[in-house]
Amino acid sequence: MLLLSAIAILAALGIAGWAIGGVLERVVTEGIDRRLDAEIALLASVVDRDGTVDRAALAQRAGVLEAGRGWRWRIETPAGAIGSADVPLGREGPHPPGPGREDARGPEAIDGDDARGHGVHARRLVMGRVTLFAAAPRAVIARPLRDALVPLLAALAILAALLAAATWVQLRLGLRPLDRMRAQVAAIRAGTASRIDEDQPVELRGLAAELNALAADREAALATARQSAANLAHALKTPVATLALALRDDPAKAAQVDRIDATIRHHLSRARAGTVDVRASTPLAPAVADLVQAIGRLHAARGLAIDTDVADVTAAMDAQDLDELLGNLLDNAARHAATGVRVSAQPQADARWFDLVVADDGPGIPAAERERVTQPGVRLDERGEGHGFGLAIVRELADLHGGRLTLAERPGGGLAARVTLPARHQIAPGS
Amino acid sequence: MRILLVEDDSELGPGIARALRAEHFAVDLVADGIDAAHLGETEAYDAAVLDLGLAGKDGITVLKEWRAAGRTLPVLILTARDGWSDKVMGFKAGADDYLVKPFRLEELVMRLRALVRRAAGHAQPVLACGRLSFDTQIGHFELDGLPLKLTAFEWRVLSALMLRREAVIERLDLLERVYEGDADVDSNSLEVIVGRLRRKIGAEMIETVRGRGYRLTCP
Repeated sequence: MLLLSAIAILAALGIAGWAIGGVLERVVTEGIDRRLDAEIALLASVVDRDGTVDRAALAQRAGVLEAGRGWRWRIETPAGAIGSADVPLGREGPHPPGPGREDARGPEAIDGDDARGHGVHARRLVMGRVTLFAAAPRAVIARPLRDALVPLLAALAILAALLAAATWVQLRLGLRPLDRMRAQVAAIRAGTASRIDEDQPVELRGLAAELNALAADREAALATARQSAANLAHALKTPVATLALALRDDPAKAAQVDRIDATIRHHLSRARAGTVDVRASTPLAPAVADLVQAIGRLHAARGLAIDTDVADVTAAMDAQDLDELLGNLLDNAARHAATGVRVSAQPQADARWFDLVVADDGPGIPAAERERVTQPGVRLDERGEGHGFGLAIVRELADLHGGRLTLAERPGGGLAARVTLPARHQIAPGS
Repeated sequence: MRILLVEDDSELGPGIARALRAEHFAVDLVADGIDAAHLGETEAYDAAVLDLGLAGKDGITVLKEWRAAGRTLPVLILTARDGWSDKVMGFKAGADDYLVKPFRLEELVMRLRALVRRAAGHAQPVLACGRLSFDTQIGHFELDGLPLKLTAFEWRVLSALMLRREAVIERLDLLERVYEGDADVDSNSLEVIVGRLRRKIGAEMIETVRGRGYRLTCP
């Protein structure tokens, strides 16, 4: 774009320079012509129509005529010529006879070279049988022209440079809001934003509004698709349950029903992990308390002790995602624990994040297996129900919110699952 | 044991009822939330299996109404809703267990039995009374270590007695736990069943408490 502007600027200024040069030349030439015409008028005043030259008058006025080096004049009569011989005579040479040559039009311009090859600009007037010439060296036109054009061209060149610089600056400044917008659109795609700022320069507002409409449409389409997948999966569950019941005594068919069930659960959990609402926030402690109650009842037969030590943190997640993440973590821990589970949460030094740790005193996971176990569908044990999606779901949800899941050995044996999640910064009371 | 089964699907409901009866449960099946709320409030059940997506009244509302009416029967939610937020909601409404469809029948039966056992105050799955032992998880009786064969009604009566061993069960309570809601109860049937049980495990084990009911005594 910059190159095109530069070419356009150069072309425009070039044309301008050429046009100005042309105008200047004409102006200067006209000035010279007026002087030459004045000289011709003078010459005409000392000649009468039939060619007689009043030499006395001519001598008297000659001083005016000798204007400078290279200036010359000539009178041509049938009797002969007076004045400089070195005058471009024009095409026709000495004046032709005949009544057709009228001088009513006034002097006409003749350009040519003198005997030494220098350019000469002359004016010629034909009066009956007399022809008058007045001429000036071309340099008289050329010099002022040159004197004028050089600064002019320099000024134009500076103007061109300034214009090019201004164009570059304008492009940079003009494109900056576009660059900002690009970053915002990238944020929408990454799921960390849902709209772009409509507080834009007026030329970009329409674009911003359209992009937001596009993003909203896309989100709506995603939500519809997710809801369709969820609806389908839910609608299938009861008929599959009926089939499972009816086919429970046929192992081959029961296995197929299991496969159908696993597929449904898989797609349901994928449908659930959708885009992130950046404004969502859920207090952590009540959510943990509710989940602990649920897990306690679900695993009531095991008699596990569940401890909690949860700081007063608010998670920057919606309640459903938080419940899903906590539920899967706690359920996994309860299923493997020998005697108990401990849930703790602390904000990080960087108040935008907090760490949640769920530890159990079960068999733990060997370091070599820790990566694999968060892949969907992998289970290290065959105990209890569940299809091995639990920790994979936790990892997916953590990643979705910009956090992470780390598995480690619990001191004293067992598994410590640590999840780092975004915290909603709260205004401290009284500040 | 008498179970209130609330399931609105016309195939699954009867399917579960059949399967549970095969495991000696007495089952009252309702398909509607309003009926479920009413029955749960007025009849005696050992446990309830509650679906959530019901016509008439949502399962969560039914459960809340039961609890508000002071009904403490153990409730197992059986539903297609498998999100943890749904589970939390179920437990907060007063559920004791939560099973997601599709499910294994053995799982449902085992959990129901465990719920009933815990509600009766027994922490251990195997109850003993003299020569008689009852594994509440698999639902089997053994006499002197040998499996005891019982009919469905005999099983229901004996398990009811066993869960409250050494305590008196009112005749009416026994009748409610043994017969399904729409059963045609002959006033003499309970005596007939108890008579048959005495022949199988020994007459001294079941004591008749005049004007009230029966008691299982453990020597």
